[in-house]
Amino acid sequence: MRKKILLFIVLGWVLLIVGDRVDELRVYQGAQIAMYTIALASIVLLTGYSGQVSLGNGAMMAVGGYAAALTLTNLQTPIWFAFLMAVIAASLFGALLGAAAARLSGPYLAGTTLALAVGLPAIANQFTFLGGEPGILFDVGFPPERLGEDFTQYKWFFWIASSIALVALFITSNILSSRFGRTWQAVRGNALAAELAGVNSSRWKILAFTISSALAGLAGAVFAMNISLVAPGAYSLALSFALVTGAVLAGISSLPGVAFGALILVAIPEVADALAGRLGDADKLNNYLPGLIVSVLLILSVIYTPNGPGENLRKLRHKRKAH
Amino acid sequence: MQKVFETILIGLSTGSIYALMSLALVLVWRSTRVVNFAQAGQAMFSTYIGFEISSRSEVFWLGLLFAIVAGALLGAGVDYFFMRVLFKHANSGPAAVVAPVIATLGLLGLIRSFVGLTWGGEFKSIETPASTNGFTIGDSTIPFSPLNVLIIVTTALILIALAILFQRTNLGLALRASAYAPEIAQLAGIRTARTRTIGWAIAGGVGGVAGMLVTANNFLSPYSLDLLLVFGFIAAVIGGLESMVGAVIGAFVLGIGLTFILNYVGTSLVFIGGFTVLILVLIIKPDGIMSRGKARRA
Repeated sequence: MRKKILLFIVLGWVLLIVGDRVDELRVYQGAQIAMYTIALASIVLLTGYSGQVSLGNGAMMAVGGYAAALTLTNLQTPIWFAFLMAVIAASLFGALLGAAAARLSGPYLAGTTLALAVGLPAIANQFTFLGGEPGILFDVGFPPERLGEDFTQYKWFFWIASSIALVALFITSNILSSRFGRTWQAVRGNALAAELAGVNSSRWKILAFTISSALAGLAGAVFAMNISLVAPGAYSLALSFALVTGAVLAGISSLPGVAFGALILVAIPEVADALAGRLGDADKLNNYLPGLIVSVLLILSVIYTPNGPGENLRKLRHKRKAH
Repeated sequence: MQKVFETILIGLSTGSIYALMSLALVLVWRSTRVVNFAQAGQAMFSTYIGFEISSRSEVFWLGLLFAIVAGALLGAGVDYFFMRVLFKHANSGPAAVVAPVIATLGLLGLIRSFVGLTWGGEFKSIETPASTNGFTIGDSTIPFSPLNVLIIVTTALILIALAILFQRTNLGLALRASAYAPEIAQLAGIRTARTRTIGWAIAGGVGGVAGMLVTANNFLSPYSLDLLLVFGFIAAVIGGLESMVGAVIGAFVLGIGLTFILNYVGTSLVFIGGFTVLILVLIIKPDGIMSRGKARRA
């Protein structure tokens, strides 16, 4: 435990230094990476540990983002309270959905959450208090003055996003290595055996859904901060796909992997941009090349490294030892 | 009273299209135990092929024919080149359960980006095979049009053809047997792997028809069939995912129900209505309306 705390403090310190050394764009991307690590952690917890496939985590991010934005614009509260509201709203929503989901096995759950991911952003279009298509502005304000003159807005985002991500990951990693994580794995491995050992499997599934949604909601609020607004277009089906892809790339049951997955998710548009610039016809390529790369990566990794690159490395090492 | 009548007619037309999509999902689910989310992509690709043919030849039916062929080929290809490889590799560890679902999503994304790169994102519209102006009864015009009639008739013909195929032919028997008990079917000399690929091809063709019919009344874009997939899935769940008859009944119930919401409450609640139906069915009767008390297999 003490080691883990130390590790996270060192990580934070490294981030602090790195944040000072790089330019504005990289700082913004750093904030996005922090956001994705939280979102991917929510999928690792839900799919990797408790074995439920949800394609609706993008929708949960929308819930969190809208909750935070509505709190901030209507009540003029401090920022931390908006983030707290995001967590609370998303976990309530998640508990509700989880109660329905706990009865569902694989395909039913995936389909239901897919329906949610397709429909929820569209619902936001229909209600005026949610701002319709253009959405609501989300403004956390300027960085405090005591941080100095040349402390930029994006650096402020980066600071907030990374500190939230570090805390969220610390808590998640503790949850996963505790009784909770073990029980989820037991239910995933064999629900019947777990029931016989006295575990109420549907209650545990609902709990996993709730915690996962809370994390997703938090990520949604951080996302809203990074792009300074919440709008239906931001929380599209493509976002849910990207999250699943990131988690599969990271190794669906590996929490440290989320940093790697998040890095790739942020790198993909960058790579696609560079490629599109080289190939010409920018419009079509800009719109569809990132999706193409994401899908190809998803398909290749789900076929060849379904349990993450870590497992393949372990297998390889094992094979070498055997010879 | 007249409005109720109109709503039911339009609902039948909407339900027909849902029925085709949910049949495509059920066909694949029965044989492969995968809800094929890529079906939206396959249907969309077939519809783009149909769009190309029908806009060049200015004949809708030629486009429909090509959409069916393209859908069937793509469906067979997906099973043969994709699902077989997937089941060979991803069969152990924590990801084994979730791999097929995630893989079909990846495929949906792949087809969508391919279509986007080829045809671009702008809306396309298809040559309509019949007038979209409503019929006139007495001195009032109702929203029910010749196109709606055509949609219902086409769907009915396809349903009849499928019923004959599944009930009266050896291929249909093989399809049912290898979905019901693959090992026993194999022992009885049925080539289950090949039969499964044929099942995927039929599903792909049916999905292509659904795409063409829904687009005849609407626009085509790389995203335009997502909602159809969702409603097709809801219809399939109402029927229990397992039963083809159930899926068709579920689709008509859903189509008529949602049209009532559309006509009497407003557009904003259509999706919420569909989603509520899904949740209610899953909570109250998770095995669907056609279940006979048997435990759900999944």
